Amino acid sequence: MPSKMTDTRTRPLQFRGSLALAVQQFPRNRAATVGFVILFAICFAAAFAPWVAPYDPIQIKLSMKLKPPSFEHLMGTDHFGRDVFSRMLWGGRTSLSVGLLVVGFAFMLGVPLGLASGYFGGKVDNALMRLVDAFLTFPPLLLAVALVGLLGPDIKNVMLALGLVQAPILARMVRGSTLAVREDVYVTAARALGASPLRIVLSHLLRNMVSPIVVQLTVVFAAAVVSEASLSFLGFGTQPPAPSWGRDMSEARRFLADAPWMFLAPTSIIAVCVLSINFMGDGLRDALDPRAWRTRRSVGADA
Amino acid sequence: MSLLRVRNLHTRFATDRGDVRAVNGVSFDLEEGEILGLVGESGSGKSVTALSIMRLVPEPPGRISADSLAFDGRELLALSEAEMREERGSSMAMIFQDPMRSLNPVLTIGRQMTEVLRRHQKLDGAAAKRRAIELLETVGIPSAEKRLGAYPHQFSGGMRQRVMIAIALSCNPRLLIADEATTALDVTIQAQIVDLVKRLTRERGTSVIWISHDLGVVAGLCDKVNVMYAGNVVESGPIRELFHRPSHGYTLGLMGSTPRVDGTGVRRLTPIEGMPPSLIEPIPLCPFLPRCRVSIPACQTVSPERRDFGSDHWARCLADLKPGDRAP
Amino acid sequence: MWSYLGRRLIQVPLVLLVVSLMTFAITRATPGDPVTIMLGMQTSPEAAKAMREEFNLDRTLPEQYGLWIGKVLTGDLGRSMRLNDPVTTLIAERLPISLQLAFAGMLFALVVSIPLGVIAALRRNSWIDYFCTGYTVMGFALPNFGLALILIYVFSIKLDWLPITGIGSSEAEQGGLWKHYSPFIIPAVALGSLQTAMLTRLLRSSMIDVLSQDYMRTARAKGLLPSTIVIVHALKNAMIPFVTMAAVQFGYMIGVQVTIEYIFAVPGMGSAVLNAVVNRDFPVIQGFTLVIAVFFLLMNILADMMYALLDPRIRY
Repeated sequence: MPSKMTDTRTRPLQFRGSLALAVQQFPRNRAATVGFVILFAICFAAAFAPWVAPYDPIQIKLSMKLKPPSFEHLMGTDHFGRDVFSRMLWGGRTSLSVGLLVVGFAFMLGVPLGLASGYFGGKVDNALMRLVDAFLTFPPLLLAVALVGLLGPDIKNVMLALGLVQAPILARMVRGSTLAVREDVYVTAARALGASPLRIVLSHLLRNMVSPIVVQLTVVFAAAVVSEASLSFLGFGTQPPAPSWGRDMSEARRFLADAPWMFLAPTSIIAVCVLSINFMGDGLRDALDPRAWRTRRSVGADA
Repeated sequence: MSLLRVRNLHTRFATDRGDVRAVNGVSFDLEEGEILGLVGESGSGKSVTALSIMRLVPEPPGRISADSLAFDGRELLALSEAEMREERGSSMAMIFQDPMRSLNPVLTIGRQMTEVLRRHQKLDGAAAKRRAIELLETVGIPSAEKRLGAYPHQFSGGMRQRVMIAIALSCNPRLLIADEATTALDVTIQAQIVDLVKRLTRERGTSVIWISHDLGVVAGLCDKVNVMYAGNVVESGPIRELFHRPSHGYTLGLMGSTPRVDGTGVRRLTPIEGMPPSLIEPIPLCPFLPRCRVSIPACQTVSPERRDFGSDHWARCLADLKPGDRAP
Repeated sequence: MWSYLGRRLIQVPLVLLVVSLMTFAITRATPGDPVTIMLGMQTSPEAAKAMREEFNLDRTLPEQYGLWIGKVLTGDLGRSMRLNDPVTTLIAERLPISLQLAFAGMLFALVVSIPLGVIAALRRNSWIDYFCTGYTVMGFALPNFGLALILIYVFSIKLDWLPITGIGSSEAEQGGLWKHYSPFIIPAVALGSLQTAMLTRLLRSSMIDVLSQDYMRTARAKGLLPSTIVIVHALKNAMIPFVTMAAVQFGYMIGVQVTIEYIFAVPGMGSAVLNAVVNRDFPVIQGFTLVIAVFFLLMNILADMMYALLDPRIRY
């Protein structure tokens, strides 16, 4: 018993946001680990779809159309006789890769913007935040629809549209963190020691914002996957006959009564993806935030 | 018959490391019109004792048990929650440490006062309002009628505490419990509030349990004092007796660390070293032993029993302390 | 408080200006000639020229923008290139329907989130709390069009309890209460799913926070009835952030409606923009987006105002 008590009291003080410690903490959260595993499995299967998928996703075989799930076709077939399961895997390639691209793009656009805004403050901050406000006033889906619809259903445009929609939120968040961290004493101390502004920004600020940024990026990822599906659903994203979760859901509408597996498969996989990403994000947040580490405290005697 | 009879009160909290014994066998009596001080440091169990009497301890994870917890002859632990609700605010009332946080920020003062009157005294709106104005005037708040529509954040700290007192006394309770009621206030305001409580309770014959870690305030207000440590009462007695002849190592330590205005020699304040014990393990010997400066060899082997010194003064201490003893 | 409101209102035109610039830029950045799309490839050069002139497509970009903004400030949003009706007329037709749908969605969200959030906070770690957490998690994970399909399958196709189409149709207008409002049910539930999840989670955590405050202990020490304690003391505090978010979410809903309008053939703002995008109908795209943005901004300001009104610490 006594050793357990000293354990929690003398845990060494770690540098906030230390990744190594986070990696250690993460597996404690079971939901997060499950999420991570599932997500990894889906990504893996999607990445290796050409080898994993049992059938060619775009090959039409009308004799096999609208067959319910069976041993040969795990998720049944669609109205063209295509194997739904294979289409799911291939569709994942598009959705997930778009998701990752959007994350990257939003990161590259939003983080510097937020940093600049928060660090320099004043007019720069005002101007940038007005811009961000304007972007946020657009209903994101409409903006994406407009951009993709008008510029063409190229994957580049989809990435651009979705990234532009997510970047402002990320920028806002980064700005907030920057403002908070900027006031920290040690930044002033570093300045006093003569460190250059850029160096301060990169080494000190970023390191302490790793946690909220990483968590926000998981949110962006999930949102991007859903947005891509929405765009495809509306007919603006991936074009037929390329497999796409959203697109397949749209086509499934006509066959809702006869072949419910057609819409259930893509719907479920999107939900599972988002769930996994969210759980993982929660786990990451708990793992990265030292304040969330549960120190075993007994209920105070003086209530 | 005493107004309040506490016999062997135990309050425990279930935690993942075991049961915390916040109140560990506390017994005392409170007479009508008496002002009892409950003194001790953080973690001594004084607040939890008070909350246990009012049965405001969340159960679970808390668990209250006692041989007897009798208020006005009725066993409080035998009452249902609905019956307890009838008592709270009407026959027994409590005020807390930080009046800013203890008052609801989105409700007017008037609302927070009249709701008690309407609930327990069944007054209608207009009558409740009139009574509320009376009460505010009694506790010394000017322009009472206008103040009814104000919100807590528009008052100063001392005024807020006066409002709390007004609310507590509005239904003429037999018992008022004040939990560190002046700790969060300026020293000058503290004196005012203490005087106010003294005057109002004497006028109405209300019994008071005054909880504090500040011996100075207790000295000026209370008739009797219970000194608590690690969930136990370690010394109890009339205020004069206690100050004249502190008979427990902890009491001695408390006095040694409190500045005295009577100028008994120019002495350095001696803090009590160390930390209070964990409340999870049962403590076989005297709980204060590790920090005590007047312990004797017997303390290492024998658990101290109650020693009576006459005139209702007793202490659980083996060291034979004499009047005038100081902590070395 | 009024000075704060004033400052916020001043920001509106600025933001709208940027929004209008952005919409304009997007529409003009598109490849493809709207006139040819509208009139077809085979059209005569005169007809094409006439259309171009009418819609100012022969001027330079800054000129086009200036002309458009000028007209907007006088309340003229132009005419639809495709339908030839003034954009304002189209908005007047479609906005009420979108508002009704948004309202229905919000109603659903409130009806579910308030009890669920409150009870989950009061009975932590009970089955209701777990159900609440599960529900909110699903609400975030399942996109609204996915939920719509599931609901259609279950309630319309399999059980045949609810209709799918009919919002805004003449049949619905003339029918009884059920005929009029039942088409709203499935779309409203699907539309409001994300909002419900967000609001439930917010209220739950707000309530938990409030319930641990010192003034709740005082309320219990007064011996007040549990209903009084929860509703008057706790809820009044917890509702402040809730109401604010609800207002913002309502403003958001009109923009989010697109997929729902598409599935259920609702003649609302979202589907209008969708069609306009496909048809390169610039005035419609610009006008509608501007209106949607204005609405959203107004709801944001309303939310701020409500926050100030509800929290006496800010008001005085």
